[in-house]
Amino acid sequence: MRLVHWLLVFLIAASWWTAEEGEMQWHYWSGLTIVGLLVFRIYWGFAGPETARFANFIRSPGTVLSYTGKLFKPDYRAAFGHNPLGALSVIAILLALIAQVGLGLFASDTDGLESGPLSPYVSYEFSKDAGNLHEDAWNILLILIGLHIAAIVFYLIVKRINLITPMITGSRKAHAVEGPPSGIAPVPLWRFLIGVALAALVVFLIVWLPTTR
Amino acid sequence: MKIKLFAATAVLALGLAACGGETPAPETPVAEAPAEAPPPAAEPAPAATASIGETPADPVAFMKTRHENYEDLGKNFKVLLDNSKLGSPDMAAVSAAANKVNDYAKQMGTWFPPGTGPEAGKTEAKANIWTERADFDAKLVNLQTEAGKLVTAAGTDAAAFKGQFGATGGTCKACHDKFREEDKDK
Repeated sequence: MRLVHWLLVFLIAASWWTAEEGEMQWHYWSGLTIVGLLVFRIYWGFAGPETARFANFIRSPGTVLSYTGKLFKPDYRAAFGHNPLGALSVIAILLALIAQVGLGLFASDTDGLESGPLSPYVSYEFSKDAGNLHEDAWNILLILIGLHIAAIVFYLIVKRINLITPMITGSRKAHAVEGPPSGIAPVPLWRFLIGVALAALVVFLIVWLPTTR
Repeated sequence: MKIKLFAATAVLALGLAACGGETPAPETPVAEAPAEAPPPAAEPAPAATASIGETPADPVAFMKTRHENYEDLGKNFKVLLDNSKLGSPDMAAVSAAANKVNDYAKQMGTWFPPGTGPEAGKTEAKANIWTERADFDAKLVNLQTEAGKLVTAAGTDAAAFKGQFGATGGTCKACHDKFREEDKDK
């Protein structure tokens, strides 16, 4: 889970850099790797440990509001897993990333010189529009990532809660957190392996299917 | 110690210089030419132009046609690009598109007469087409050569086509990188 997060950080940065530099072959692979990570993350949202599951961190608007109220009280303690407000950020970034890679798969440039792996399935016009939207949607992603980082800095400075270290080490002191002291219940290895296989399969199909035509 | 420090500084400076070099140049303001009565086009620097053709009577209309031609060229190139990814390319479609690309490549020398650059209206054509015409023309000859080979390859077989596709695309890109403004076409 944490590995997926930091891989996404790295690959999003890599995708930006390779696109700016016109290294489209690398962009192709960094984008496809993100596709794989997203497939895994979505699967993990149903089959992963409790803190990773969408059902556990997508809350009602009322819960988000009451959490936001609590956030500014002095006796605030960090939430276990994603807090209700942060969950919105997780969902927004995931959706934006799905849209972004979805567009990229079908995109091509105006010259028909570079294109995503699935461009043979769509027309020149569609593909070109997808390419332009792919460029524009990047800004939405940037805004969401900016908000995400701003929130982390807010917790760090205003609330004196470091959310970064736990995201690296995976643990934090139980007394500071609302939740079971035993922490996150482990998930069997086979469930993780199914997720990896699923992600690899999707990426493989995207690359392989056009070659069968 | 001092030498090391100097070396580090030099590397840093080089790095900065390299970054600076890649910063996109500020967009040159594009005069929005009114549809009728285009303003008299400023003469491009006379020294460099081995001018091909005369300034057209209606530069804006001329540039619009040029743009449409490039769109169609892109469309045909996408046919080639798509087919280059397929296991069994549609060679009839590939041949048709390759011929189209080749035809456009042959005409392209007449597409940039004086007075049809950024001074005349909205275009991605950069002014250096006219000031560095010799290089522009050399790159065009490369395209024509590789487009000709592409037609031959497309008439041979799928493997030949796939092998030649990248080389032809490379000549397009070489020219775009130097002579085309980025991202105005949306």
